[in-house]
Amino acid sequence: MPDTQWSRYHVFLQSKENEPHLEVGSVHAPDPEMALQNARDVFVRRPDCLSLWVAPADQILHMTGQEVDNWSPPEDLPAEGPNLYHVFCKTVSAGTAELAGEVRAGTRAEALAAALSRFPFKPPPFTWMVVPEAAITRSTEEDVGPMFAAARDKPFRQSSYYHVISEMRAARKKQDGG
Amino acid sequence: MNDPLKLALAEALLCLADDELVLGHRDSEWCGHAPIIEEDIAFANIALDEIGHAALWYREIAALRGQDRDSYPDQLIYFRLAADYCCVQLVEYPPGDWAFSMLRQYLFDSAELLRLQGLAESRHAPLAQVAQKVVREEIYHLRHTRAWITRLGLGTEESHRRMQDALDLLWTPAQQMFMPLPKEELLVEEGLLPESQPLREAWDEQVRSHLQEAGLQPPAVGEIPQSRRSHTPHLEVLLRELQSVARSDPQAEW
Repeated sequence: MPDTQWSRYHVFLQSKENEPHLEVGSVHAPDPEMALQNARDVFVRRPDCLSLWVAPADQILHMTGQEVDNWSPPEDLPAEGPNLYHVFCKTVSAGTAELAGEVRAGTRAEALAAALSRFPFKPPPFTWMVVPEAAITRSTEEDVGPMFAAARDKPFRQSSYYHVISEMRAARKKQDGG
Repeated sequence: MNDPLKLALAEALLCLADDELVLGHRDSEWCGHAPIIEEDIAFANIALDEIGHAALWYREIAALRGQDRDSYPDQLIYFRLAADYCCVQLVEYPPGDWAFSMLRQYLFDSAELLRLQGLAESRHAPLAQVAQKVVREEIYHLRHTRAWITRLGLGTEESHRRMQDALDLLWTPAQQMFMPLPKEELLVEEGLLPESQPLREAWDEQVRSHLQEAGLQPPAVGEIPQSRRSHTPHLEVLLRELQSVARSDPQAEW
Protein backbone atom coordinates (compact mmCIF):
# COMPACT_ATOMS: atom_id res chain seq x y z
CA MET A 1 0.00 0.00 0.00
CA PRO A 2 1.44 3.41 -0.87
CA ASP A 3 2.04 5.83 1.99
CA THR A 4 -0.76 8.37 1.93
CA GLN A 5 0.88 10.54 4.58
CA TRP A 6 2.63 13.78 3.81
CA SER A 7 6.39 13.93 4.35
CA ARG A 8 7.69 13.89 7.87
CA TYR A 9 9.59 16.85 9.29
CA HIS A 10 11.63 16.80 12.47
CA VAL A 11 10.94 19.66 14.83
CA PHE A 12 13.56 21.46 16.92
CA LEU A 13 12.54 23.93 19.59
CA GLN A 14 14.44 26.55 21.55
CA SER A 15 12.57 27.61 24.66
CA LYS A 16 14.94 30.20 26.16
CA GLU A 17 17.68 32.47 25.00
CA ASN A 18 21.17 30.94 25.23
CA GLU A 19 19.72 27.45 25.43
CA PRO A 20 20.25 24.94 22.64
CA HIS A 21 17.51 23.75 20.30
CA LEU A 22 16.04 20.40 21.32
CA GLU A 23 14.53 17.81 19.04
CA VAL A 24 10.92 17.58 20.23
CA GLY A 25 9.36 15.21 17.70
CA SER A 26 8.04 15.27 14.17
CA VAL A 27 5.03 16.38 12.14
CA HIS A 28 3.64 15.56 8.72
CA ALA A 29 3.22 18.40 6.26
CA PRO A 30 2.99 19.05 2.52
CA ASP A 31 5.73 21.70 2.59
CA PRO A 32 8.12 23.47 5.01
CA GLU A 33 5.84 26.45 5.72
CA MET A 34 2.98 24.14 6.73
CA ALA A 35 5.46 22.01 8.69
CA LEU A 36 6.38 25.08 10.71
CA GLN A 37 2.73 25.86 11.38
CA ASN A 38 1.93 22.27 12.31
CA ALA A 39 4.97 22.21 14.58
CA ARG A 40 3.64 25.29 16.33
CA ASP A 41 0.27 23.65 16.92
CA VAL A 42 1.59 20.30 18.04
CA PHE A 43 4.56 21.40 20.16
CA VAL A 44 4.23 25.06 21.15
CA ARG A 45 0.75 25.72 22.41
CA ARG A 46 1.75 25.32 26.05
CA PRO A 47 5.51 25.53 26.55
CA ASP A 48 7.67 28.60 26.03
CA CYS A 49 9.19 28.90 22.60
CA LEU A 50 11.61 31.39 21.12
CA SER A 51 12.48 29.60 17.91
CA LEU A 52 11.34 26.60 15.90
CA TRP A 53 13.24 24.74 13.20
CA VAL A 54 11.78 22.09 10.93
CA ALA A 55 13.74 19.84 8.57
CA PRO A 56 12.56 16.97 6.31
CA ALA A 57 13.24 13.66 8.06
CA ASP A 58 14.68 12.13 4.91
CA GLN A 59 17.40 14.79 4.77
CA ILE A 60 18.63 14.10 8.29
CA LEU A 61 21.28 11.49 9.04
CA HIS A 62 19.97 9.75 12.13
CA MET A 63 22.03 7.03 13.83
CA THR A 64 21.89 5.26 17.16
CA GLY A 65 25.03 4.98 19.29
CA GLN A 66 25.13 1.28 18.44
CA GLU A 67 24.94 1.96 14.71
CA VAL A 68 27.75 4.47 15.08
CA ASP A 69 29.88 1.84 16.90
CA ASN A 70 29.54 -0.50 13.92
CA TRP A 71 29.97 2.24 11.34
CA SER A 72 33.04 2.82 9.23
CA PRO A 73 33.49 6.58 8.80
CA PRO A 74 34.51 7.85 5.38
CA GLU A 75 38.27 7.62 4.89
CA ASP A 76 40.65 10.49 4.07
CA LEU A 77 38.35 12.95 5.80
CA PRO A 78 38.99 16.50 4.58
CA ALA A 79 39.61 18.99 7.38
CA GLU A 80 36.52 20.98 6.46
CA GLY A 81 33.86 20.94 3.76
CA PRO A 82 31.66 23.51 2.05
CA ASN A 83 28.37 22.73 3.87
CA LEU A 84 27.17 23.56 7.35
CA TYR A 85 25.60 20.79 9.47
CA HIS A 86 23.93 21.00 12.88
CA VAL A 87 24.70 18.03 15.09
CA PHE A 88 22.21 16.90 17.72
CA CYS A 89 23.03 14.29 20.38
CA LYS A 90 20.84 12.49 22.83
CA THR A 91 22.94 11.91 25.93
CA VAL A 92 20.27 11.02 28.52
CA SER A 93 18.27 7.84 27.92
CA ALA A 94 14.91 9.40 28.82
CA GLY A 95 15.90 12.73 27.28
CA THR A 96 15.82 14.19 23.83
CA ALA A 97 18.45 15.12 21.24
CA GLU A 98 20.07 18.46 22.00
CA LEU A 99 22.07 20.70 19.68
CA ALA A 100 25.73 19.89 20.37
CA GLY A 101 27.18 22.21 17.76
CA GLU A 102 27.97 22.81 14.10
CA VAL A 103 30.48 21.26 11.74
CA ARG A 104 31.45 22.06 8.15
CA ALA A 105 31.77 19.10 5.84
CA GLY A 106 31.13 17.86 2.31
CA THR A 107 28.47 15.24 3.12
CA ARG A 108 26.33 14.19 6.07
CA ALA A 109 28.54 11.16 6.67
CA GLU A 110 31.64 13.34 6.70
CA ALA A 111 29.85 15.68 9.07
CA LEU A 112 29.08 12.81 11.43
CA ALA A 113 32.69 11.61 11.30
CA ALA A 114 33.85 15.15 12.11
CA ALA A 115 31.28 15.42 14.91
CA LEU A 116 32.48 12.19 16.51
CA SER A 117 35.89 13.74 17.08
CA ARG A 118 34.63 17.28 17.76
CA PHE A 119 32.06 16.26 20.39
CA PRO A 120 33.68 13.43 22.40
CA PHE A 121 30.77 12.70 24.76
CA LYS A 122 31.51 10.25 27.61
CA PRO A 123 29.54 8.01 27.78
CA PRO A 124 28.76 8.09 24.04
CA PRO A 125 25.34 9.51 23.05
CA PHE A 126 22.33 7.25 22.52
CA THR A 127 21.59 8.89 19.16
CA TRP A 128 23.20 11.27 16.69
CA MET A 129 21.35 13.50 14.24
CA VAL A 130 23.10 15.41 11.50
CA VAL A 131 20.88 18.14 10.05
CA PRO A 132 22.04 20.01 6.94
CA GLU A 133 21.68 23.77 7.30
CA ALA A 134 20.14 23.84 3.81
CA ALA A 135 17.30 21.56 4.94
CA ILE A 136 16.16 23.79 7.82
CA THR A 137 13.21 26.17 7.74
CA ARG A 138 13.14 28.51 10.72
CA SER A 139 10.60 30.67 12.45
CA THR A 140 11.56 34.33 12.33
CA GLU A 141 11.67 36.94 15.08
CA GLU A 142 8.40 38.39 13.77
CA ASP A 143 6.79 34.97 14.31
CA VAL A 144 7.44 35.02 18.06
CA GLY A 145 4.47 37.29 18.84
CA PRO A 146 1.65 35.82 16.76
CA MET A 147 2.87 32.23 16.69
CA PHE A 148 4.24 31.64 20.16
CA ALA A 149 3.38 34.45 22.57
CA ALA A 150 -0.35 34.08 21.94
CA ALA A 151 -0.32 30.66 23.57
CA ARG A 152 1.55 31.76 26.66
CA ASP A 153 -1.20 33.31 28.78
CA LYS A 154 -3.88 30.73 27.99
CA PRO A 155 -5.64 29.32 31.00
CA PHE A 156 -4.50 25.74 31.15
CA ARG A 157 -6.01 23.18 33.45
CA GLN A 158 -4.74 19.68 33.92
CA SER A 159 -7.48 17.07 33.74
CA SER A 160 -7.04 16.52 37.51
CA TYR A 161 -8.37 20.07 38.08
CA TYR A 162 -11.90 18.84 37.46
CA HIS A 163 -11.90 16.05 40.10
CA VAL A 164 -14.05 13.99 37.75
CA ILE A 165 -13.20 10.63 39.28
CA SER A 166 -13.79 11.65 42.88
CA GLU A 167 -16.98 13.54 41.92
CA MET A 168 -18.31 10.53 40.06
CA ARG A 169 -17.51 8.26 42.99
CA ALA A 170 -19.28 10.61 45.37
CA ALA A 171 -22.28 10.82 43.02
CA ARG A 172 -22.45 7.04 42.72
CA LYS A 173 -22.15 6.58 46.48
CA LYS A 174 -24.99 9.04 47.00
CA GLN A 175 -27.09 7.25 44.40
CA ASP A 176 -26.39 3.82 45.92
CA GLY A 177 -27.07 5.16 49.41
CA GLY A 178 -30.36 6.79 48.34
CA MET B 1 -20.31 55.93 30.04
CA ASN B 2 -24.04 56.37 30.74
CA ASP B 3 -26.34 53.39 31.04
CA PRO B 4 -28.06 53.58 27.63
CA LEU B 5 -24.63 53.71 26.00
CA LYS B 6 -23.43 50.74 28.03
CA LEU B 7 -26.47 48.72 26.98
CA ALA B 8 -26.01 49.68 23.36
CA LEU B 9 -22.39 48.59 23.47
CA ALA B 10 -23.40 45.30 25.10
CA GLU B 11 -25.90 44.72 22.30
CA ALA B 12 -23.24 45.23 19.65
CA LEU B 13 -20.73 43.02 21.45
CA LEU B 14 -23.32 40.28 21.68
CA CYS B 15 -23.29 40.09 17.88
CA LEU B 16 -19.54 39.58 17.86
CA ALA B 17 -19.66 37.10 20.74
CA ASP B 18 -22.37 35.01 19.08
CA ASP B 19 -20.42 34.96 15.81
CA GLU B 20 -17.37 33.62 17.61
CA LEU B 21 -19.26 31.08 19.67
CA VAL B 22 -21.19 29.57 16.80
CA LEU B 23 -18.20 29.49 14.47
CA GLY B 24 -16.04 27.99 17.22
CA HIS B 25 -18.67 25.29 17.73
CA ARG B 26 -18.79 24.56 14.00
CA ASP B 27 -14.99 24.33 13.89
CA SER B 28 -15.00 21.97 16.85
CA GLU B 29 -17.14 19.55 14.84
CA TRP B 30 -13.98 18.72 12.86
CA CYS B 31 -12.29 17.41 15.98
CA GLY B 32 -11.39 13.80 15.19
CA HIS B 33 -12.37 14.21 11.51
CA ALA B 34 -9.78 16.56 10.00
CA PRO B 35 -7.76 15.22 7.05
CA ILE B 36 -4.61 14.63 9.11
CA ILE B 37 -3.85 14.55 12.82
CA GLU B 38 -1.68 17.69 12.80
CA GLU B 39 -4.51 19.62 11.19
CA ASP B 40 -6.99 18.10 13.62
CA ILE B 41 -4.96 19.60 16.45
CA ALA B 42 -4.50 22.92 14.66
CA PHE B 43 -8.18 23.38 13.85
CA ALA B 44 -9.29 22.24 17.30
CA ASN B 45 -6.93 24.93 18.66
CA ILE B 46 -8.57 27.50 16.43
CA ALA B 47 -12.02 26.32 17.58
CA LEU B 48 -10.96 26.74 21.20
CA ASP B 49 -9.53 30.18 20.48
CA GLU B 50 -12.81 31.34 18.92
CA ILE B 51 -14.86 30.01 21.82
CA GLY B 52 -12.35 31.66 24.16
CA HIS B 53 -12.84 34.99 22.37
CA ALA B 54 -16.59 34.59 22.68
CA ALA B 55 -16.18 34.00 26.43
CA LEU B 56 -14.15 37.22 26.73
CA TRP B 57 -16.87 39.21 24.97
CA TYR B 58 -19.67 37.60 27.01
CA ARG B 59 -17.83 38.62 30.18
CA GLU B 60 -17.59 42.19 28.93
CA ILE B 61 -21.30 42.11 28.15
CA ALA B 62 -21.95 40.91 31.71
CA ALA B 63 -19.94 43.83 33.07
CA LEU B 64 -21.76 46.35 30.86
CA ARG B 65 -25.14 44.97 31.92
CA GLY B 66 -24.19 44.87 35.57
CA GLN B 67 -24.36 41.09 35.70
CA ASP B 68 -22.02 38.51 37.20
CA ARG B 69 -19.04 37.94 34.90
CA ASP B 70 -18.77 34.26 35.74
CA SER B 71 -22.33 33.00 35.63
CA TYR B 72 -23.96 35.37 33.12
CA PRO B 73 -22.06 34.08 30.06
CA ASP B 74 -23.47 30.60 30.71
CA GLN B 75 -26.95 32.08 30.88
CA LEU B 76 -26.45 33.74 27.52
CA ILE B 77 -24.98 30.68 25.86
CA TYR B 78 -27.11 27.87 27.22
CA PHE B 79 -30.49 29.42 27.88
CA ARG B 80 -31.16 31.74 24.95
CA LEU B 81 -33.37 30.62 22.08
CA ALA B 82 -32.10 30.60 18.51
CA ALA B 83 -34.29 33.64 17.78
CA ASP B 84 -32.42 35.60 20.47
CA TYR B 85 -29.00 34.82 19.02
CA CYS B 86 -27.59 37.49 16.75
CA CYS B 87 -24.85 35.69 14.83
CA VAL B 88 -24.48 36.07 11.07
CA GLN B 89 -25.72 33.23 8.89
CA LEU B 90 -22.19 32.60 7.61
CA VAL B 91 -21.22 30.87 10.85
CA GLU B 92 -24.38 28.78 11.09
CA TYR B 93 -23.86 26.49 8.12
CA PRO B 94 -22.71 22.92 8.86
CA PRO B 95 -18.99 22.30 8.32
CA GLY B 96 -19.33 21.02 4.73
CA ASP B 97 -16.05 19.80 3.28
CA TRP B 98 -12.58 20.90 4.29
CA ALA B 99 -12.48 23.58 1.59
CA PHE B 100 -15.75 25.05 2.88
CA SER B 101 -14.62 25.16 6.50
CA MET B 102 -11.17 26.57 5.67
CA LEU B 103 -12.61 29.25 3.42
CA ARG B 104 -15.27 30.24 5.94
CA GLN B 105 -12.62 30.49 8.63
CA TYR B 106 -10.42 32.56 6.34
CA LEU B 107 -13.21 34.97 5.39
CA PHE B 108 -14.17 35.31 9.04
CA ASP B 109 -10.64 35.69 10.41
CA SER B 110 -9.70 38.34 7.90
CA ALA B 111 -12.82 40.32 8.81
CA GLU B 112 -12.33 39.77 12.52
CA LEU B 113 -8.72 40.88 12.44
CA LEU B 114 -9.71 44.21 10.87
CA ARG B 115 -12.52 44.76 13.36
CA LEU B 116 -10.27 43.86 16.29
CA GLN B 117 -7.65 46.34 15.14
CA GLY B 118 -10.38 48.96 15.31
CA LEU B 119 -11.65 47.73 18.67
CA ALA B 120 -8.11 47.88 20.05
CA GLU B 121 -8.48 51.68 19.75
CA SER B 122 -11.84 51.76 21.51
CA ARG B 123 -12.38 54.49 24.05
CA HIS B 124 -13.78 51.85 26.42
CA ALA B 125 -10.52 50.60 27.95
CA PRO B 126 -11.60 47.04 28.92
CA LEU B 127 -12.78 46.49 25.35
CA ALA B 128 -9.52 47.80 23.89
CA GLN B 129 -7.54 45.52 26.20
CA VAL B 130 -9.45 42.40 25.20
CA ALA B 131 -9.09 43.30 21.52
CA GLN B 132 -5.33 43.76 21.84
CA LYS B 133 -5.04 40.34 23.40
CA VAL B 134 -7.23 38.58 20.87
CA VAL B 135 -5.62 40.23 17.86
CA ARG B 136 -2.42 38.23 18.26
CA GLU B 137 -4.31 34.97 17.92
CA GLU B 138 -6.15 36.17 14.87
CA ILE B 139 -2.89 36.98 13.11
CA TYR B 140 -1.92 33.38 13.61
CA HIS B 141 -5.33 32.00 12.53
CA LEU B 142 -5.20 34.06 9.40
CA ARG B 143 -1.75 32.81 8.55
CA HIS B 144 -2.95 29.24 8.93
CA THR B 145 -6.16 29.51 6.92
CA ARG B 146 -4.49 31.69 4.30
CA ALA B 147 -1.87 29.01 3.74
CA TRP B 148 -4.66 26.48 3.16
CA ILE B 149 -6.58 28.72 0.76
CA THR B 150 -3.51 29.14 -1.42
CA ARG B 151 -2.64 25.45 -1.39
CA LEU B 152 -6.16 24.24 -2.11
CA GLY B 153 -6.84 26.96 -4.67
CA LEU B 154 -3.66 26.16 -6.59
CA GLY B 155 -3.61 22.44 -5.75
CA THR B 156 -5.34 19.80 -7.84
CA GLU B 157 -8.30 20.22 -10.15
CA GLU B 158 -10.52 18.79 -7.43
CA SER B 159 -9.20 20.99 -4.61
CA HIS B 160 -9.58 24.06 -6.83
CA ARG B 161 -13.13 23.09 -7.76
CA ARG B 162 -14.07 22.55 -4.13
CA MET B 163 -12.61 25.91 -3.13
CA GLN B 164 -14.42 27.74 -5.91
CA ASP B 165 -17.69 25.96 -5.00
CA ALA B 166 -17.21 27.02 -1.38
CA LEU B 167 -16.50 30.60 -2.43
CA ASP B 168 -19.66 30.66 -4.57
CA LEU B 169 -21.66 29.59 -1.52
CA LEU B 170 -19.97 31.73 1.12
CA TRP B 171 -19.31 35.04 -0.59
CA THR B 172 -22.78 36.51 -0.13
CA PRO B 173 -23.33 35.37 3.49
CA ALA B 174 -19.85 36.72 4.33
CA GLN B 175 -21.02 40.25 3.41
CA GLN B 176 -23.42 40.17 6.36
CA MET B 177 -20.44 40.53 8.72
CA PHE B 178 -20.26 44.17 7.63
CA MET B 179 -23.90 45.13 8.00
CA PRO B 180 -23.99 47.91 10.63
CA LEU B 181 -24.25 46.59 14.18
CA PRO B 182 -27.21 47.66 16.34
CA LYS B 183 -26.89 51.38 17.27
CA GLU B 184 -23.63 51.45 15.38
CA GLU B 185 -23.83 55.13 14.47
CA LEU B 186 -24.01 56.17 18.10
CA LEU B 187 -21.27 53.77 19.19
CA VAL B 188 -18.94 54.88 16.42
CA GLU B 189 -19.59 58.53 17.25
CA GLU B 190 -18.63 57.82 20.87
CA GLY B 191 -15.36 56.22 19.76
CA LEU B 192 -16.36 52.82 21.09
CA LEU B 193 -16.48 50.74 17.89
CA PRO B 194 -15.00 50.95 14.39
CA GLU B 195 -17.50 51.66 11.63
CA SER B 196 -18.45 48.60 9.56
CA GLN B 197 -18.47 50.10 6.08
CA PRO B 198 -14.75 51.05 5.92
CA LEU B 199 -13.95 47.63 7.36
CA ARG B 200 -15.86 46.06 4.48
CA GLU B 201 -13.88 48.06 1.96
CA ALA B 202 -10.54 47.13 3.49
CA TRP B 203 -11.60 43.48 3.75
CA ASP B 204 -12.88 43.33 0.21
CA GLU B 205 -9.64 44.66 -1.21
CA GLN B 206 -7.43 42.40 0.88
CA VAL B 207 -9.47 39.23 0.44
CA ARG B 208 -10.01 39.69 -3.28
CA SER B 209 -6.31 40.09 -3.91
CA HIS B 210 -5.48 36.99 -1.93
CA LEU B 211 -8.25 34.91 -3.52
CA GLN B 212 -6.97 35.98 -6.90
CA GLU B 213 -3.47 34.79 -5.99
CA ALA B 214 -5.07 31.46 -5.12
CA GLY B 215 -6.78 31.32 -8.54
CA LEU B 216 -10.26 31.91 -7.09
CA GLN B 217 -12.93 34.28 -8.34
CA PRO B 218 -15.57 35.74 -6.01
CA PRO B 219 -19.07 35.61 -7.54
CA ALA B 220 -21.46 38.57 -7.76
CA VAL B 221 -22.94 39.44 -4.37
CA GLY B 222 -26.48 38.12 -4.01
CA GLU B 223 -29.11 39.04 -1.47
CA ILE B 224 -27.41 39.75 1.86
CA PRO B 225 -29.33 38.71 4.99
CA GLN B 226 -30.37 42.04 6.52
CA SER B 227 -31.08 41.15 10.11
CA ARG B 228 -28.92 39.39 12.65
CA ARG B 229 -32.15 38.01 14.10
CA SER B 230 -33.02 36.01 11.01
CA HIS B 231 -31.34 32.64 10.99
CA THR B 232 -30.95 29.52 8.92
CA PRO B 233 -32.62 26.37 10.28
CA HIS B 234 -29.10 25.09 11.04
CA LEU B 235 -28.70 27.35 14.08
CA GLU B 236 -31.52 25.73 16.00
CA VAL B 237 -30.09 22.26 15.39
CA LEU B 238 -26.66 23.43 16.51
CA LEU B 239 -28.00 25.04 19.68
CA ARG B 240 -30.05 21.97 20.56
CA GLU B 241 -26.83 20.03 20.78
CA LEU B 242 -24.73 22.80 22.34
CA GLN B 243 -27.34 23.49 25.02
CA SER B 244 -28.56 19.94 25.67
CA VAL B 245 -26.38 19.13 28.67
CA ALA B 246 -26.86 22.46 30.45
CA ARG B 247 -30.61 22.34 29.87
CA SER B 248 -30.92 18.77 31.14
CA ASP B 249 -30.07 20.09 34.62
CA PRO B 250 -30.21 23.90 34.76
CA GLN B 251 -29.37 23.95 38.47
CA ALA B 252 -26.17 21.93 38.11
CA GLU B 253 -22.94 23.60 39.15
CA TRP B 254 -19.95 23.20 36.83
